[in-house]
Amino acid sequence: MAGFAVLSRVQFDAHVRVVNIEEEFTMDELAAACAAPAIGYQAFHPDPSKPLRVRLTTKDDSAPALPRDMKVKETSMRHYECIDVFVE
Amino acid sequence: MAMLDRSEWYDIARSTNWTPRFITEDQLFPPEQSDPFGIPMSEWETYDEPYKVSYREYVGVQREKDAGAYSVKAALVRSKYYETIDDGYLSVLKFNYAASVPGEYAACFPEGRMVRFSKAPSMRNLAAFASLDEMRHTQILLFFSHQLAGMDRQFDWAAQSLGSMNWVSMAGRHAMEDLLHSRDVVTTSVMLHLAFETGLTNVQMLGLSADAANMGDFTFSNLITSIQSDEARHAQIGTPLVEILVRNGRVAEAQRAMDIGFWRIWRLFALVAGIPMDYFIPLHKRERSFKEYVTEFVVKQFERQLKDLGLDVPWYWSYFLNDIETYHHTQQAGIWSWRHTVWWNPDGAVGPKEREWLEAKYPGWNATYGKYWDVITDNAKHGRDEKTYAVGMPCVCNMCGITVAAPGGTEWQARVYQSEYKERRYNFCSPVCQWIFDNEPENYADFDTIVDRLYNGEVDLSKPDGLLTYMGIGIISEGGRDARHLSWAKEAELPAAAE
Repeated sequence: MAGFAVLSRVQFDAHVRVVNIEEEFTMDELAAACAAPAIGYQAFHPDPSKPLRVRLTTKDDSAPALPRDMKVKETSMRHYECIDVFVE
Repeated sequence: MAMLDRSEWYDIARSTNWTPRFITEDQLFPPEQSDPFGIPMSEWETYDEPYKVSYREYVGVQREKDAGAYSVKAALVRSKYYETIDDGYLSVLKFNYAASVPGEYAACFPEGRMVRFSKAPSMRNLAAFASLDEMRHTQILLFFSHQLAGMDRQFDWAAQSLGSMNWVSMAGRHAMEDLLHSRDVVTTSVMLHLAFETGLTNVQMLGLSADAANMGDFTFSNLITSIQSDEARHAQIGTPLVEILVRNGRVAEAQRAMDIGFWRIWRLFALVAGIPMDYFIPLHKRERSFKEYVTEFVVKQFERQLKDLGLDVPWYWSYFLNDIETYHHTQQAGIWSWRHTVWWNPDGAVGPKEREWLEAKYPGWNATYGKYWDVITDNAKHGRDEKTYAVGMPCVCNMCGITVAAPGGTEWQARVYQSEYKERRYNFCSPVCQWIFDNEPENYADFDTIVDRLYNGEVDLSKPDGLLTYMGIGIISEGGRDARHLSWAKEAELPAAAE
């Protein structure tokens, strides 16, 4: 599978992290990959009762969450794409 | 013994200059090295240095300083002080020695270039002394730290960090090469003498010196005040130079150089001084908070000095004022979490009493950084020590080379500022680092951060610990662990709702 790295900011985490992902990942899988090095290490889950969603990072945090079953290869994401992982 | 009093010959000597006959002035002083701003030689010859010293006097004074510093060291070397001192404080020394040696050595070269390429004759003279100063600083730091390398291999980084690919070394080297090694001597002087030495060194040298004295480490305290006495002298080289720039309509150029230099050095000083002052120095020995030192020595004093020179505070001043309250806290958290990648043993130092002090000095600390440390504390108290080490890679800034991090917890401020240049993406920790890049992308575009090197094949990831080996960890010495073996965490109360 082809892959690249995204720059992930998990909600309320202090870090932006470099996460290797695959083009076949769904947004749920992408969120899980980004959450894995953060939550339980230096960050809390922002709300365990809700699923983690993915959106492209924008200056005003206004981008819509991407559909959970959408695949990375169906988005415009490429190497060093900045994404947010958050709960709605 | 001198035959003449200095006053009888100094003014002749300091203003000695040449009028080239068989080459042009531009061939003697290439603009790209000497002065790209076209300021007339007659203006440069008005350069009036704020202190006058002959070589004989310089040698005499420096010899006395060295005698003082080395005699204190010799007197204390048998005390076994360093074998019994607090491990968090040892990390102050490990970090500072290895961060300072490359910086001092790097500064020898721009001073040497000024000796050759400054158009102001007396500035050439002063730069010669300044170059000797920086060589002295390099040597004395190497000598003082060398005695400790036999006790603890991590002190060997003082000698080896300059040539290493450790991410911390790369961050320092990038800044030094940008400010000190790659620009004309006029711009370099503004960045080095004004922004770096006048603006910021007091925080490290005076602030850390006070804390070291409180720790009873008179060797180190005396050493860095001795170094600072030179800095305070040769930093003044920049003042008459800036006056000439301002008088000749080059305020914008001087301001821009100041803005770039100040930010780049601020980023480094927040780590090398801020983290030790607020975390590594034991609580009962802290003289003041980092914020208090910066407020006095930088915000108040330096702002006044800039205005006196006809310059302004940098355009990002309000951002910087917020940074004083936040940046070193996020970097303490990140460097501690990734402590296996550095050459000292960071002290987490966020037990209950420390957190109380931090909250008092930095209101809101517990709601932001505190939440970060709550997760770590919870892991430590439940015996999940391995989870107190960060996994994966942080994003690293393509300018300062430090991780992209900002307050979290009840806030969510960490974000990348990204630029694209020639179809490549560059990632920055702040709008200021981004601005520096966007101004002159061709200067910086070819550089690869430690993260970039994971993807361009330079780091051999086929071997276990390939990245750590690349960075010298496990080669020069072992990497860092918590200075207190997590004891500060295990004595803390668990947060109310650890998740």
